[in-house]
Amino acid sequence: MNRSIINRIQVVAALAIMLLPVSCSWNEEGRDREYSNTPQGNFMALWTIMDERYCFFDLKEEKLGVNWDEVKVRYSASISDDISDKSLFEVLCRMIGELRDGHVNLTSSYDYGRNWSWKTDYPSNFSKDIRDSYLGNDYIIGGDGYYYRILEDNIGYLVVESFESATSSSRMNVMFNNMALCNGLIIDIRDNGGGDLTAAEFLASHFTENKVTVGYSCYKTGPGHNDFSRRYKNELSPAKEDLRWIKPVVLLVNRGCFSSANDFAYTMKALDNVTLMGDTTGGGGGLPMSSELPNGWVVRFSSAPTFDADGNHVEFGVAPDIRVDMSDDDIRSGVDTYIERARDFINDKLVNP
Amino acid sequence: MKMMLKTPMTDSFRCSDKVSSVLTAVLLILMPLRVQAQQTVWGLPQYNETVRVTSVAAGSAFARDTYLSASRYSGWALGFENDSWIGLRPYRTFRYCRNTSALFFSPMTNRLDGGSTLEAGGYDFMSFLWPAVECSMCDLLIGPAVMMELDVLYNQQNSNNPVNAAGYLGGGLCVDNTFRFNVFRYRMALQATLNVPLAGIGFAPDYDQPYWYMYKYGEYGKALHFITPFNNTAITQQVALILPCRASRIRIGYTFDYIGNGLGGHTRGIGSGMFTIGCAFRFQEKEWEL
Repeated sequence: MNRSIINRIQVVAALAIMLLPVSCSWNEEGRDREYSNTPQGNFMALWTIMDERYCFFDLKEEKLGVNWDEVKVRYSASISDDISDKSLFEVLCRMIGELRDGHVNLTSSYDYGRNWSWKTDYPSNFSKDIRDSYLGNDYIIGGDGYYYRILEDNIGYLVVESFESATSSSRMNVMFNNMALCNGLIIDIRDNGGGDLTAAEFLASHFTENKVTVGYSCYKTGPGHNDFSRRYKNELSPAKEDLRWIKPVVLLVNRGCFSSANDFAYTMKALDNVTLMGDTTGGGGGLPMSSELPNGWVVRFSSAPTFDADGNHVEFGVAPDIRVDMSDDDIRSGVDTYIERARDFINDKLVNP
Repeated sequence: MKMMLKTPMTDSFRCSDKVSSVLTAVLLILMPLRVQAQQTVWGLPQYNETVRVTSVAAGSAFARDTYLSASRYSGWALGFENDSWIGLRPYRTFRYCRNTSALFFSPMTNRLDGGSTLEAGGYDFMSFLWPAVECSMCDLLIGPAVMMELDVLYNQQNSNNPVNAAGYLGGGLCVDNTFRFNVFRYRMALQATLNVPLAGIGFAPDYDQPYWYMYKYGEYGKALHFITPFNNTAITQQVALILPCRASRIRIGYTFDYIGNGLGGHTRGIGSGMFTIGCAFRFQEKEWEL
């Protein structure tokens, strides 16, 4: 081959190799839409992220009458070019607040935007002072947020304040050994705002002898409101290496039970020896994910819905088997209506199994 | 090794003793291999030889992955690169076997609120090269390659879905262009290489599939996608100048690496551009057969 032709081929090939990365980096910016850091850009980014990734639109439209397209029209009227950041934050928080979902939040340096109406719109049915009076001062700490003692009528009382961390197998074994002679167990998860799903599942696995289908889960597979994967079975397997509790269990729940505490409630409800007592839980049946707006504010949203054993959404909470409300008289006299009803229930079971 | 350190510096290449010593020490720590002084071999190895270039890299990186964030992050990057050439039998179709691998790390921030993302990644490309054009001045080599790359992003803004990974394993094409030229009486080489995967398996979550569900339900299959250049644009490009430095060779270069795709319904573009500096060593290997 002629030397000059070879040289030309070389030059062209070398230039192509050297220039390709430049064209590649240009393409990267234009691969999809990227919203501008303006009030309108941030508004559209938030609306679109929610529109494409939030998992409960159909449910919220059915139960709350929320139409996300109508929400966009209504709130976009409040967005102007000269709106302050603080006002923009307030408008955006109000917009996502329409969904009344505790897993939907907007975080900025101004505030943590939230709608906690799932809890605040209902009676609390809980007094920490009264509950602590049942625990006394000599309760045993079985983990971070796990406290227990044996009540006077030989009933175990376990408080789980949070599922932020799991207790351990050895601590569960010690706890069940300590309460081996008890007639039953009351688990109090009132005002437990959730935490780690695995912590809730770990605790629940100590109350079944067999693998049980407790519910179902799926996740979003596309931007459409109905783009979901198939439903996967949520199966609870017994904690095989640990002691397990097969005596009666009463699980005390209220509106303050949210997220993984809500998951714990529907999981326990599927077990034969467990009775849910109290008020409907607060819900939070969507596994959350996060994203960001162009201005750096972080948005959290429900992304993967869960269902109970009957295939029903648990986003609006889990109904108790036995409804109980704290009575004002009891509160005034320092009596916890929930705990007393649970004790009566277990003692009745002893007499009438 | 002693011989290499004691070789007098030539007038034409003014590399200070301090820089040379530090560089040699760093490279020997990174790659403690048997090294021997060598004859002048430019750019490509002879039959039964290995030329290995071990480099440190520094530069910048960027990432945008809408699974984690709609924002684009960028920052500095540090890395380590290893490039080995093995000379095969001259009369065989493939004349060289080349293995290029790298590890890199980058802390990145977004443009506005100081949100941060950490990236760690690496790649390994093994290519078999055939000389398409050969002459005394240059070699244009081309051949198939087995390619593997994985980038992991950790977004510190996200509490519930902080991690995402992008990567692929597949076959592709490697093109290398080596020029040899003289500056005064000293021989040098300019090497430009392009690695492009053409087909394989790419990893990306199935839209908003949580990693927790992949583990819990064993549903990894949904996160694996067949890739082509149309749905997974990936490129790794190196441009390097090989210079004489005492008894060894110094390679100064620039490496650009990029993965961009829309696998699983999310948009991602992860890339880095790093300047590299390293030392080339030549080894005698056991006979290689292909």
